[in-house]
Amino acid sequence: MTAPAPPAKQPPLLTVENLQVEFETYGGTVQAVRGVSFSVEAGKTLAIVGESGCGKSVTVQALMGLVPMPPGRLKSGTAELRGRNILGTSQIDGLDFRGREIGMIFQDPMTSLNPTMTIGRQIAETLEVHLGWSRKKAFARAIELLDMARIPEAAQRAKQYPFEFSGGMLQRAMIAMAIACEPAILIADEPTTALDVTIQAQVLDLLGDLQREHGTAIILITHDLGVVARMADEVAVMYAGQIVERGSVDDIFYRPAHPYTVGLRAAMPSNNPDAEHRLLPIEGSPPDLFSPPAGCAYAARCPHAMRICSTHEPAPFVVGADHYGKCWLHHEKAAGGASMIAAAAAPPEKKS
Amino acid sequence: MLSYTIKRLIQGLITVWFIATATFLAMHAVPGNPLSGAKAMNVEIRQNLERKYGLNKPVGEQYLIYMGNLARGDLGISFTQKNREVNDIIREHFPVSATLGIMAVVFAALGGALFGALTALNRNKWPDTVIMLAVILGISVPSFVFAAFSQLMVVKINALLGISILPVAGWGTVSHMLLPSLVLGLGTMAYLTRLMRSSMLEIINSDYIRTANAKGLPQTRIFLQHEMRNAILPLVTVLGPSIAGITTGSFVVELVFAIPGLGRYFVQAVQQLDYTVIMGTTVFFGAFLVLMVILVDLLYGLIDPRVRVS
Ligand SMILES: Nc1ncnc2c1ncn2[C@@H]1O[C@H](COP(=O)(O)OP(=O)(O)O)[C@@H](O)[C@H]1O
Ligand code: SF4
Ligand SMILES: [Mg+2]
Repeated sequence: MTAPAPPAKQPPLLTVENLQVEFETYGGTVQAVRGVSFSVEAGKTLAIVGESGCGKSVTVQALMGLVPMPPGRLKSGTAELRGRNILGTSQIDGLDFRGREIGMIFQDPMTSLNPTMTIGRQIAETLEVHLGWSRKKAFARAIELLDMARIPEAAQRAKQYPFEFSGGMLQRAMIAMAIACEPAILIADEPTTALDVTIQAQVLDLLGDLQREHGTAIILITHDLGVVARMADEVAVMYAGQIVERGSVDDIFYRPAHPYTVGLRAAMPSNNPDAEHRLLPIEGSPPDLFSPPAGCAYAARCPHAMRICSTHEPAPFVVGADHYGKCWLHHEKAAGGASMIAAAAAPPEKKS
Repeated sequence: MLSYTIKRLIQGLITVWFIATATFLAMHAVPGNPLSGAKAMNVEIRQNLERKYGLNKPVGEQYLIYMGNLARGDLGISFTQKNREVNDIIREHFPVSATLGIMAVVFAALGGALFGALTALNRNKWPDTVIMLAVILGISVPSFVFAAFSQLMVVKINALLGISILPVAGWGTVSHMLLPSLVLGLGTMAYLTRLMRSSMLEIINSDYIRTANAKGLPQTRIFLQHEMRNAILPLVTVLGPSIAGITTGSFVVELVFAIPGLGRYFVQAVQQLDYTVIMGTTVFFGAFLVLMVILVDLLYGLIDPRVRVS
């Protein structure tokens, strides 16, 4: 057998450029998302990782037209699905792309389903609306989808209501619902955060298997680097409404290009029980998004902060193929800066 | 579901028994003999009545007789109208009150759901402001003021147009029923509007409506099948007590609009100290309301699957 030729690089499925989202509140304007750009390739998983409140949910909700406006506002940016604009609209060619081309699941499955409608109906109505199927045909397909989502006795389960399901089962049902129309992209916003640890792995496995079977691209939002390691191809690290580092999953774990990524790594529990690994939470708290700092948003917490960091915003320095870090340490004048990040990133078990 | 229904019915019976006992005790706490005030009543009738009700016997025994009659469905004979059974009075006048009450409840529930949804969907815009102002009026102004005011308005309009578009009082045709049932349901409608508004606001911002949007469902479908259905649940729970409120209100409205309903009859009986009629209608109204509350609870079970199963 001859080795297959390397596939020609396709244009990305989804491209987001300079997305900025604000919220007008009584206390002032919250700059929740401050110029986020990323792209998603077919069949791949992009993980967006960062602390709570850094703007992960608002980013994807803005793409899906789910940000309440007011108080929310799209300040600028573009988002294109296969070259067609999806920002500020819910339609492509007069048809709602949500549920059909991009599916979405949420953090809390217990509250994310209609309590007075059967699970089967809630899945079926997506098919009725987007594909024009009859009630009966759509319900039969809903049962198949529940079965694909590994829900036992799917035919009976389809007739039940959300309160009769456990959290893990509900999240499977949500997944079945989100992929009903075989969308090209599935957005999963912290899909396992609300679930028991034992269930988390099963749900992630299900997502991975469905992705392989259907070639779905996944945007996976999480604050858990363990989930990133398990699922991601590409990673975007978000901090205070910006992507501060972007790279492949190996880049993020073995060649981090931003001190915040290193900090997240140190705060992550180790899987190795022998390792003498102490959890080191990042000290301090993220900046106030009412008036974000002029320089690097991470400066107040960064162990390597320099004078320029608090006055000038760092550019995204390219450090490798599809890998950049928004940090002044990569500037040519910060001699040896990049190696400082690498040194800090060295896993503690290798120190001895 | 069946065992739940039976359980609720038994509870209802106990409640009715309690109401009957309380009515009995209250009537006996009123000073004076039931027969002393009666005007043209000869000794023979008096003794007959005393024998029938055991009025010369101890209270405990009277109570047993009273409960025995009640159990057989015998509410007794009027003290002031010759040869008129309380049962006849109820049979004749209750349908009028029931029609008025049902129309008022339907009007209140539909109006409350509709206006409440409208205010929530237009939160802080002018329809919200206008309707919520009207709601404050509807809740705080008593129904007899509305009754008198609406009569005045209709009189003026009739005079202005030279024809009678609506009768001002009386009973008989649907056009007679419109104004009083509107007036009767107004307070409840205002209350239900406010309840619907807060319920709807909560649901509009709920996670599952966000899911419905993320599925790309059309707005009308989201409104009808996801928002309305869930938003009316709190309304259904208060429908039982609302029916009680409307029934009580009907006493006044029936008087003002000269409607021959049981409420007006009850007021009259109180004025004339017609003991059997007072006790009979009180127990009857009590039983009716208890039944309504049970029916509403069962209806709630049909709408909310979480209640149905548990
Ligand atoms: N409806 C809203 N009104 C005001 N501020 C909001 C609203 N939604 C989100 N925000 C703010 O936007 C920021 C980002 O939130 P979010 O994207 O939910 O964070 P996370 O990364 O945890 O998903 C937070 O500071 C939050 O307070
Ligand atoms: S730019 Fe400066 S403050 Fe920001 S992460 Fe890099 S070294 Fe730290
Ligand atoms: Mg979030």
